[in-house]
Amino acid sequence: MMSTSTSSSSMNAGHPSSSSPTGLKTYFKTPEGRYKLQYEKTHPAGLLHFSHGKAVSQVTLAHLKEKPTNLPATPSSSSSSAGVRSAAARLLGGGNGSRALSFVGGNGANKFAGVAGGGGGRAVAGGGGGVGGSLGNFDGRGTYLIFNAGDTLFISDYSSQDKDPIKAIHFGNSNPVCHAFDPDAKDGHDLLIGLHSGDVYSVSLRHQLQDVGKKLVGAQHYNKDGSINNSRCTSIVWVPEGDGAFVVAHADGNLYVYEKSKDGSGDSSFPIIKDPTQFSVAHARSSRSNPIARWHICQGSINCIAFSTDGAHLATVGRDGYLRVFDYSKEQLICGVKSYYGALLCCTWSPDGKYILTGGEDDLVQVWSMEDRKVVAWGEGHNSWVSGVAFDSYWSSPTSDGTGESVMYRFGSVGQTQLLLWDLAMDEIVVPLRRIPPGGSPTFSSGSQSAHWDNTCPVGTLQPAPSMRDVPKLSPLVAHRVHTDPLSGLVFTKEAVLTVCREGHVKIWARPGNAQEIQSNVSETAPSLTTKDRPVLLSGKVSSNAGYKQQQAPPSTHT
Amino acid sequence: MVMGATGSKLEKALGDQFPEGERYFGLENFGNTCYCNSVLQALYFCVPFREQLLEYYGNNKNVGDAEENLLTCLADLFSQINSQKKKTGVIAPKRFVQRVKKENELFRSYMHQDAHEFLNFLLNELVDILEKESNAAKGSPKSSSPHEKIANGPRNPQANGVHKEPLVTWVHKNFQGILTNETKCLRCETVTARDETFLDLSLDIEQNSSITSCLKNFSSTETLNAEDKFFCDKCCSLQEAQKRMKIKKPPHILVIHLKRFKYIEQLSRYKKLSYRVVFPLELKLSNTVEDVDSEYSLFAVVVHVGSGPNHGHYVSLVKSHNHWLFFDDENVEMIDESAVQTFFGSAQEYSSNTDHGYILFYESLGSKS
Repeated sequence: MMSTSTSSSSMNAGHPSSSSPTGLKTYFKTPEGRYKLQYEKTHPAGLLHFSHGKAVSQVTLAHLKEKPTNLPATPSSSSSSAGVRSAAARLLGGGNGSRALSFVGGNGANKFAGVAGGGGGRAVAGGGGGVGGSLGNFDGRGTYLIFNAGDTLFISDYSSQDKDPIKAIHFGNSNPVCHAFDPDAKDGHDLLIGLHSGDVYSVSLRHQLQDVGKKLVGAQHYNKDGSINNSRCTSIVWVPEGDGAFVVAHADGNLYVYEKSKDGSGDSSFPIIKDPTQFSVAHARSSRSNPIARWHICQGSINCIAFSTDGAHLATVGRDGYLRVFDYSKEQLICGVKSYYGALLCCTWSPDGKYILTGGEDDLVQVWSMEDRKVVAWGEGHNSWVSGVAFDSYWSSPTSDGTGESVMYRFGSVGQTQLLLWDLAMDEIVVPLRRIPPGGSPTFSSGSQSAHWDNTCPVGTLQPAPSMRDVPKLSPLVAHRVHTDPLSGLVFTKEAVLTVCREGHVKIWARPGNAQEIQSNVSETAPSLTTKDRPVLLSGKVSSNAGYKQQQAPPSTHT
Repeated sequence: MVMGATGSKLEKALGDQFPEGERYFGLENFGNTCYCNSVLQALYFCVPFREQLLEYYGNNKNVGDAEENLLTCLADLFSQINSQKKKTGVIAPKRFVQRVKKENELFRSYMHQDAHEFLNFLLNELVDILEKESNAAKGSPKSSSPHEKIANGPRNPQANGVHKEPLVTWVHKNFQGILTNETKCLRCETVTARDETFLDLSLDIEQNSSITSCLKNFSSTETLNAEDKFFCDKCCSLQEAQKRMKIKKPPHILVIHLKRFKYIEQLSRYKKLSYRVVFPLELKLSNTVEDVDSEYSLFAVVVHVGSGPNHGHYVSLVKSHNHWLFFDDENVEMIDESAVQTFFGSAQEYSSNTDHGYILFYESLGSKS
């Protein structure tokens, strides 16, 4: 009844010759070519404060657009633009100088090579490329990686191969645990941060980059000191086309809707939840306060929430193992299903809104069809819990002919230390597994074991866990061990797939073909850096951590 | 009782949610008896086992001439905990520990012992005693009452008038499952199935894997060839064959032992594997003969603390009335459900975290009703 045929062979792939001391290979093969480890992003581990317990790192990709010239400048840059400029230059100067050098020189103490192996080391040789004109003041375009570790939120420049972050924001009182970015945010506040304490902030990413301090600046603070809900934030998302509305999920099974245009200082109050087993929505009594609504979803933690691209539907997964799909504007439960067993940990929508992927403690990647209102496939191939799922929205099926008949999707999932890629072809999956008896009528027989396929559930009901024999199985295209620490998530970009582990190390795996492109871009800038910076390298082994500490040494004026 | 303060702290933490009739008692350590204490707590909070043991106690306590054995000592201890006036506190399982040391010289020393070995010894010993009592009862029809009691809870003794061989005691009913060992001769394709019973499953573990994955590996197909061929009765010769283990009858209480202590031949000693092996709070067995998909819920974890096999400490995590409790010999604390995941193990070999889940206790939800 299990059909993990291809997974086992691909999981064992790994030639000792091409693997690093940690046993990790720096590339993996797919039908379309090799994905190569391009570079890594990490953080200085020694500086982390784990006084608030460990937090699992998540990564958010943020595209900053060209700064609109007609907007009023952010407070700090208008008052002291020169200071900001120099501070940023100092931060980035350090980034392009000493720390970048530890990759270039190829000395024995090269930490990067130790982790990624020779191939990886070569791939990033000459790292520390520029940020494409936006270097000085962060007014221009740029792509940034935002990730949390310990009590700190780190911001790395995605387009630079520098390993270290360009900015670290310390929270001190609690750990940041989730974040979200909206590139189209209107009034500058584009970055949301949820804390372990339940506190929520909205800030301008550009503003943070321009500031020299180690604290959050210009933040709007919601649910201050957990005044409305003091349980841990678990997931935070902008409402697509939501005009500044966002949703925060908490570990106690509640989620809250905020509108950033409203003042966060006026606390909302909500009635006591009468029946914790039932879904209920309560609206704030005052129209001026934030949050504006509380949705009680389930008992136990909500682990992840995701909006469909059009913002019409909201999916939640949680400790109770249920995937729930809501009509966001009507505030109604549409459908849902229980996991095979155990909690669900992650969820995401296909770009066209037709499918939802979930992953959880049953080691399965589950594909839910919104059209069929049922689980259409279980991906078997992880040998542990599935902690992250994502559709590759940049991938186009090589066989797609535009008729829509053979729609294919590519998606990825991470669990423990492995990244798995999958192809989902709906015509292949659904038809053969409807268990049409040979020679029989294509209409479904009633009372057969395929009851899972025949029943249509009324709107708003949660379906029980499907039986193992009723759900078609998928096998992964590739399974690759990418980190030594358990993974927490993955992100697809145009050029690469990013993997992040719980400890806050990000790896960027260039897509086939893209590796060359990025490398050639890099090599244009590399020679000058190499020659200029070599003396610094020779003056002493500059580990990335030490470099970071130096950079942080000057006392902050913003504390 | 010394630990009154701890007790009140736990009572305070639970407040009016303190389950009625429930007792949370720490167990005194008599010098490296934490292996025993941790297993006892897990068994005490295995409610069907506890209830049947207390029933056994109730039916046997007035039999004056009853000889003291491990079963009576355990029944005494559970009854002692259960009948405490206070809700929390500490109990000294002195008689029980003395009995264990008397019965088995392995546990007589003050050395660090293996909790799984102890659990295994204890359950098998209980089964032996129950079988002996049953046989004795059969031998002398006059005293037929203990026979009924033993065979099953006295709730419905009449339903158990006929006994299959071998005797199925209430210990079996809780913990016993049946594995079937299927061997398929690759020449004649005949499948030979051999059943064997188990009280717990010992699983090989891998770094960064899940219990689900370990269970799958347990049931994965193994090819018998070369030196290790299979004698096929039909072919009347040694043949290559494929062998796999499946669960024919899932137990009511599924006990999973993670083989964290591995003998390293080069070192000629045991080494502790600190691998991170995640275990879900709910589990289904998919390596069963029939597609039953019955769901289990985790209710206890015996945790080994320490970096080596010959020293260290045992504690246990127990779920009682939807609260998770942490038992460390005399101490009992309430913990959050999410704290269970701090006992999964270490993703890296050298880690400061040495608290690792060692024996997992799951109860079937399906047959509860």
